[in-house]
Amino acid sequence: MEMALFGDNGSGKTDAWRSYERVLLPPVRDLHRFDTYVGHGGYEALRAVLTREEWTPGKVIEATKASGLRGRGGAGFPTGLKWSFMPPVEPGKPRYIACNGDESEPGTFKDRQLMEYNPHLVFEGILIAAWAMQIDATYLYVRGEYADWIRHMESELAMLYDKGYAGKRILGTDFSSDIVIHKGAGAYICGEETSLLESVEGKRAYPRIKPPFPAQKGLWGCPTTVNNVETLACAPLIINRGAEWFAGVGAEKHPGPVLYGISGHVERPGVYEYPTGMLITDLIEKVAGGVRGGKKLKAIVPGGASVPVLRADMIEGVTMDAESLREAGSMMGTAGMLVMDEDTDMVKFLRRVTRFYHHESCGQCTPCREGTGWIENLVTRIDEGQGTLRDLDILLELCDQMEGRTVCALADAAAWPVRNTIQRFREEFEAKCRQSIYAVA
Amino acid sequence: MSDFIKHPVVSLPDRAPEPVFSKKELVFTEAEKEQIETFRAQYPTPESAVMKTLWLAQEKFGFLPPEVIRLAADTLGIPFSLAYGVATFYTQYYKAQQGKYVLDVCTCFSCQLCGGYDMVRYLEEKLDIREGETTEDGLFTIQGVECLGACGTAPMLQVTNGPYVHNLSREKLDALIDALKAGKKPPFVSVTLPQDEDDLGGNRRSDAEATEVGQTPPAAETFE
Repeated sequence: MEMALFGDNGSGKTDAWRSYERVLLPPVRDLHRFDTYVGHGGYEALRAVLTREEWTPGKVIEATKASGLRGRGGAGFPTGLKWSFMPPVEPGKPRYIACNGDESEPGTFKDRQLMEYNPHLVFEGILIAAWAMQIDATYLYVRGEYADWIRHMESELAMLYDKGYAGKRILGTDFSSDIVIHKGAGAYICGEETSLLESVEGKRAYPRIKPPFPAQKGLWGCPTTVNNVETLACAPLIINRGAEWFAGVGAEKHPGPVLYGISGHVERPGVYEYPTGMLITDLIEKVAGGVRGGKKLKAIVPGGASVPVLRADMIEGVTMDAESLREAGSMMGTAGMLVMDEDTDMVKFLRRVTRFYHHESCGQCTPCREGTGWIENLVTRIDEGQGTLRDLDILLELCDQMEGRTVCALADAAAWPVRNTIQRFREEFEAKCRQSIYAVA
Repeated sequence: MSDFIKHPVVSLPDRAPEPVFSKKELVFTEAEKEQIETFRAQYPTPESAVMKTLWLAQEKFGFLPPEVIRLAADTLGIPFSLAYGVATFYTQYYKAQQGKYVLDVCTCFSCQLCGGYDMVRYLEEKLDIREGETTEDGLFTIQGVECLGACGTAPMLQVTNGPYVHNLSREKLDALIDALKAGKKPPFVSVTLPQDEDDLGGNRRSDAEATEVGQTPPAAETFE
């Protein structure tokens, strides 16, 4: 399966994406089965790094750096750089990967499809990363709601152990590394890297203060790297096709294939695989069939609940990569895009978003535990026609008091949509306040 | 207190309720103990196996009253307080008896905009209970839940921490309730990628009989 070259960098702006051939979710039936996966060249990248001399662990990290791969879990941190933070191997001190398949960010549903259709790409990526960082065991954290997918993956993983592709002396080499699937039990906070570690350790998932970072003190106090499942699924592609190939796909500074999850008011919602750097307008109009029922576009959320909402007039020429979205006033996040048509009530939308954060705040830090609750109450009051214009300012002040004042970024993630939705749709909020029973002010 | 404060911050649980299960019922079988041993072997410390052990206990007993949590803790040899802390932190561990089928309807914003609350309201009307309540016959509980990670097939629901039901409509809910009443749990449904519709005859997995693809969502009528 030869990759149709994606042309010059940043050509997401042209129609070249139409000839894109999928590599994360190629159109192969039953690819989730070990035999099919191996039959289509699966685990060749793992065999290469374990048996060929040129692929020393350091070289794998170098290649990952050169590929330009950035984390797909939301923050977009360069993956190769993260791997290089791991301290040198110390005898008697185990090293771990925590692979993040918690996927609880509202509007994000791409990891589930990856685990459903190509779990072995994830396993292979885990094992390549394990070689690169000389990892003893990987804990693949999957949210508890994905019980069916966990069951499927566990049987495939058992197969992997039987055939000698994981566990002791992988593929007959001296390298051993385990994979354990850890089932969550319903807590959004577990997607945060340090609370994910707490959860794997079997505790309440309260985020930890950084530093020390996981690379110094992660699982059980040992060096640990936390990566998203889609990020690790890119590792075999980089080994097989080369870092240069990967760097040439999509946007220059944020390259690679990516799974876009498009939901909301579009004709054809779903997960689509395309290069990074696609025009947002193309994704909505040409890929997802346009806004439902020929309605006008009102707003989009480009990458999950916590990234700032963009008005329809802000997306002209904006592409799906970190740089372009930052310029436009938002973020790439998880590339789970929510589309809203002209009839959407932004106050009701924000009310639901604030309810989510209030429910999911873990309760460890006061500004977040209390702040998310007050924000929900205030937005609810405005929505129910009992708000005042002053409430809008109080909301923004509350955001100031929450951002950057907590152990993890959940408070920031809760504050950003409030701030941006009010700023970008202020007239709607003001209109509701003016109609309220306390309209004076 | 003004009606502005809609969400009471804390409701304290009864810390020493009457046990639901008798001493005789509170045992793990040999097979279950073996299972718990394999959980323990997967982690460097026994504490870490608590989540999997609680899952196993919940499958066996249906929910986790304090005496079941204590059983799990004792089996692992860890303090009760640790296990209790974990069981009460995570929402999927049921602390009280639920209906035989818990209908977790996603109402987070992708589903909200596509009619998630319409589905909750319809279920409430059909089963004559409110969100969070269980029917008198003990068959159904309705819960509105946060994002279940299936936004492309909104609105959707999950049946008792198990199978997903996608692209909901009122008709589909009627059929689902009838099937559940007859004891038939919905099968695993594979969600086909829109890009596959042309290539693979609409299904990538031959082991999944039922498939769905994201459909154009309906216009939502209620939003909370």
